[in-house]
Order: sequence, then C-alpha cells, then structure tokens
Amino acid sequence: MSPVQMTMKERVLCVLKYLFLALCVCLALFPILWVIMSSFKTNAEILSNGMALPQNFSFVGYRDALTISPILSYFGHSVIITVISTALNVLLLAMASYVFARCRFRGRDALYFLLSLAMVIPMTALLHPVYSVVQTLGLYDTKAGLILVYTALNLPMSLLILRGTFASIPKALEEAAYVDGAGFVRTFFQIMMPCAKGGLTSAAVLAFLQSWNEFTFALVLTSGEEARTLPLSLSYFTAQFSFNYTALFAAVTIAVIPSIVIFAVFQEQVVSSLTAGSVKE
Amino acid sequence: MKKRLIAMLMTGVLCAGTLAGCGSGSDKQEDSGASADGVITINYPTFQCGVNTAAPVVAQLVEEFNEEYAGKYQIKLEEVPGDANYVDKIKVQLGTGDLPPVVYGAGYNLLDLALAKDLVVDLTPYVEADPEWKALYSETALNTNSRDGKIYASSVEGSVVGYFYNKDLFAQAGIEAPATTWEEFFQQCDKLKAAGITPLALDTADSAWVTQLWWGAMVATSGEEGMKFMQTMNPTDYNFPAMVEAVETVQKMLQEYTTLDAIGGKYEHAANNFLSGQAAMIANGPWMIGDFSDTSKTTEGFADKIGSAIYPDSFVYDAPIQGYFVTKQDDPKLEEAAVEMVKFFTSAHAQQLGLEMQGMVPASSTVEVTDEAKSKYPLLVEFLDQAAGAELRSDNMQATMFSNLLDVVSQELPRLYSGELDATAFCQALTDAAAKN
Repeated sequence: MSPVQMTMKERVLCVLKYLFLALCVCLALFPILWVIMSSFKTNAEILSNGMALPQNFSFVGYRDALTISPILSYFGHSVIITVISTALNVLLLAMASYVFARCRFRGRDALYFLLSLAMVIPMTALLHPVYSVVQTLGLYDTKAGLILVYTALNLPMSLLILRGTFASIPKALEEAAYVDGAGFVRTFFQIMMPCAKGGLTSAAVLAFLQSWNEFTFALVLTSGEEARTLPLSLSYFTAQFSFNYTALFAAVTIAVIPSIVIFAVFQEQVVSSLTAGSVKE
Repeated sequence: MKKRLIAMLMTGVLCAGTLAGCGSGSDKQEDSGASADGVITINYPTFQCGVNTAAPVVAQLVEEFNEEYAGKYQIKLEEVPGDANYVDKIKVQLGTGDLPPVVYGAGYNLLDLALAKDLVVDLTPYVEADPEWKALYSETALNTNSRDGKIYASSVEGSVVGYFYNKDLFAQAGIEAPATTWEEFFQQCDKLKAAGITPLALDTADSAWVTQLWWGAMVATSGEEGMKFMQTMNPTDYNFPAMVEAVETVQKMLQEYTTLDAIGGKYEHAANNFLSGQAAMIANGPWMIGDFSDTSKTTEGFADKIGSAIYPDSFVYDAPIQGYFVTKQDDPKLEEAAVEMVKFFTSAHAQQLGLEMQGMVPASSTVEVTDEAKSKYPLLVEFLDQAAGAELRSDNMQATMFSNLLDVVSQELPRLYSGELDATAFCQALTDAAAKN
C-alpha cells in the first residue's frame, strides 16, 4: 500500500512504529557512541559532564592507550586465541552434537545433561581446579592453555545450539547420501555441515564473543607478555588512586570494534539459528 | 568401529597439533627458579604498573636489582594491572599453594592470608643479621609487618594521610586556616556551604576510601576507646558509642556537606570534584599531589591553590603500608634470592628513590628527605612537617578491618545517606559482617 492510500490511523501507526524503531536504534548505539566520544575528552570533562561533547577533539587518549598498555600485542594474542578456540569449539562440538542428535546409545541423555550442566557452574568455582590442571599440563602462560580453556568454556552453549540445529535437519538428506555411497565422515562434513551453516555461525559468534571478552581466566592463567589478551590491557588505565579515563575509553574503542563488526556481519545467521526449530513447518 | 577410531584419531591429532603449535618451548623459563646458566629468576607479579603512581619506581628498582645482581639473580616482572585483579590472582595462587617468591602485601593484608596457610618465610634472622636493614624498622613498622614476635614483611612506603584544601575557596568563605578542632571544622563546613561552596569531596563506592578517612579520624580522636579500636588489627565490634557517634556525623556529611555524585561515586568522582574546584576539601594521601599539576585532570596553576593539613584534634594517619614478604619455596636458593630482593626493594635507597621519583612517603623516619624531593614536592614537605607535629596517629580503618567489610561499607553507606539505616544499624551491619570471619 502506498503512503497516499494510507488512512489517517495507519499513518499515525506508521509514524509511531518508526519512532519506536528510532528509539531502539538510539538505545543500542548510545553506549558505543558515548565510549567513542569520551575517548576524545579529558579526564575532567568525562567526570564532570559525561554527556557533553568534547571541547577539543584530541587523539591523546589513543596515544596514551598505546603507550601505557601493550594493547596491540594483546590484540594480536586475542585474535589468535579467539579464532583457534572458536574454530576448535565449533568443529568438536559439531561432531559431538551430530552424534547426540542422531545416534541412539546407552547413557546419551545422561551424558548430554551432564555436559549441559556445565552451563550453570559459576566461573569463579572453576578458577582453582582449572588453574591446577593448566599448571599440571605445563600450559600456564601459553596461548594453548587459554585456547584449551576457552574451547571448553563455550562447550555447553555450542552443544545446545548445534544439537538443536542437527536435530532440525531432515533425516532424508543423510539417507540419500548413504544410498549414494557416502560414508559417515563424508556425510557429516559434506552434507550435514553445510546444512547446519546457520547453527555453526551462531555457535561460532557466541563462542567468539565469549572468548574475546573473557577476563578472569586470562588474568589467572597467564603471567607474561606472550599470551595475555585484550581485556587485560583495559585494566592498565585505572588503579586505586590514579586513573586515565581518556586512554581507557580509547582502549575500549579499539577493543570493541572487532566484536561489533563480527556481530554486525553475522547477526542474521545468529538470530535465525537461535530460533531454528522453535516452529515446526 | 572404524568410524569411531577415525573420529578419535582426528580429534587427537587436532588437539595435539594445536597444543604443540601454540605451546612455548621456553615455558619453564618464565617461572621462578634457576636456569641452566645458574641465574636464579624471581617471577614477581605486581599491580604497580600502568597508571599506578608507583609503576616507574618499581620499574627502576627492578632494573637496578638486575644490574647489581647480574649473573646471580634476575627479577622477571609480571604486570597484573589493577589492584583488585592482583589480589584476586594472589588469592587463587594461595588456594593452590603456588605463590610467587615475593608478594607485596600493600593495603590488602595479604600477609595474614598467606600466614594462615603457613606459606611465609620468617625474616627475623635475616633482619637481625643486618643492622642497616634492622634500623629501618620503626616500632609501627614492626607492628605492621610482624606477627607473634616474628618479622614476616618489610615496608617501603609509609601511609601518612591528612587532607588537602582549596585556599581560594577557603578565602571566599572567609576561612583563614584549617580547623584545629572538630567543632571548628564543622563551623567551617557551614561557612563554605553558606558561601555556595560544597565543603567536602566524598565517595561511597569501592570501600569509600575518602569518606572512611574522615570517619576513622573522628573515631581516633573520640577518646581512648576510639584510638584503641583504630590500633586494633581486624576489630570485630563496631557497635560502641564513639563509633556510632562518628557514623552519625558521616551521615550528616553525606547528607549536607558533599556533592550528589558522592552517593554511589568512586574515588575518581571525589578526586574530580576537588580537582575541578567543586569541593573545598578532600582527605587523601600525598600520592595525590602529582594530580594537582596534571592538566588532563585539572586546570593550569591549580597546585598553587592547594594547602595540606592534619585532621582536627591533632590527628594524622601514620603507619607503614604492609610490605613485601617472601613465600616458602621448594628451592632454598630461590628463597634466598627472594630475601635479597625484599631487602633491596625496602632499603633506604629504594625508599629515597620512591620519594624523589613519585613523592612516596618513606616507611622509615630515618630516611632523609633530600633537597631534590623538597624542591620537587614542596607540598609534601609542608605536609610531613605538619604530620610530625601531630599528637595522635594510627593506621587507617581500611587497612585494619576484615577484607569482607570493605564491600559492606560500600553497600551500606548509600543506605545510611538515605536514612534507610541509622548509625546504630550501620555499625551492627559491620559487626555482623566481621563476625563471619
């Protein structure tokens, strides 16, 4: 219906709808814009009037962010650790989820319940045992240690998403593949994995975000400059009696950009896969 | 069966490849201990990095130590940015008995936590054997760093804390000099308020450091019972008349004499209110002096407007900050190296370096305030002179209270401000929390 054909009531509703959407956009964008804007203000401006625009646009905060903390090397470590742990998590959990979704074996539900239960264990309760295990394995202060931990930390959520995804794929596809002579592995990688693209993307994005933002294990399981990740670099700007909020917001801006880009690019797949299987067609 | 075997093999190869690829071949060298060339490496985690005011001093000391003990000992600095992060990490390591060779107790009373697990080396024989080191321990330093007659730690920095005031704002309100009694102090607050000036910069979040300083000063000057409380380590009873009276006054301060953002505000907010000239007084230590000339935090020439004072009734906080301690290690040579490090880091030279570089107050009164320090930090020297004349002195309340009370203070102060809690209920909340230890 063109705007000309709209009744008065429909026009009002349309305007209200767009006003509501504009409000949602503002609410979503405000924190990001506020952080970016604050990165150009002085400490006094941030603390005195947080909402005001910067009096001068200065890049001093970005310069300080780069000199006070080793943010760039930590950024590099974060990329390596997050990408590998996400890939491992999705690959291993895709295999596990496929088996949980398709195969029937004794103790399947109990095992699935046990693995899902990990979701409700508080992270602080895991600190001591994980620290001991990583130390014993000789993986303290290595990227491998963090990769292993992050792969495991994201296990329950990925399992939940991917099991639902594989369960929603029609069995006829696999049967057709088997009839055509494909084996188990080939069916999984060449037939099922492409069909589960949405779920895989969703699990990957959530695992990526969790690993990218994780702080506590990165702090406890590392000691040197070789394996530390980006969230740790943000602690360099505030101490008990000293602070540099300008540099902190500049560092936050640098830190959040990849998360925002990743989510913005893959948001449709994430949303669609999270709701996949909720409605029977 | 074949499928399972392939799946297991693939998983195994994947994991092994990843771990081998990312693992560092020199992992062990990162840890404390002797290397192949006989150099003993001390892995030293510290929160004194980043924007922490002591960061340049620690970096300089590490450099000097590594130079002096080249070929024998080497410190490997591990930066743990953020005080709370440092405490959290040390607590995890305490839980696993895997403490680094040297730990800085700072204001977080980590010494008692480590002692409870019997992980601390007794420094008494080392201190007794070195007259120079022993001379640096004053009576208060011994109290702070000893338990049951044994010396376990060594301090580098003193915590001499009074308050700063804005001379311009005082002049606008017709105030000529800081108050000498609490009665005069509150008269001055009323004068400032009448002149449209907020008298105090306060906070309630993050254990309310600034507010606690005023509060503790009132308790300490209330009489014998109050002073005894302030000098008690980990007190358990907060429900006594002098404390209740002091908390009533804190309630009044929060309701009448401070900015609105003090409620829920952190140290940064209090500092900003003072640095931006919105509040006339702030209680804090000399480490803040550098901020008075930092133009990203305040205006040009602000430092010239600032004066320092001790608290009314001739009180000042004066106690060495809990120092470095050595933890028990499997390798006795590593323990010896750690003792050498602690001795070096708390020597007269180290204390003087902290004073000259960052205006840190030396832990020992025998350390000379050099001309360089005098010319660089005139306000500090002025304050130290005032502090020397104080008749009453004690440690601050935050340093002596059970660590679980720090959060309780932050949670309950806004309720005290709103009147949801009265002073007696506030004190009872602290007593109840202390009883949980």
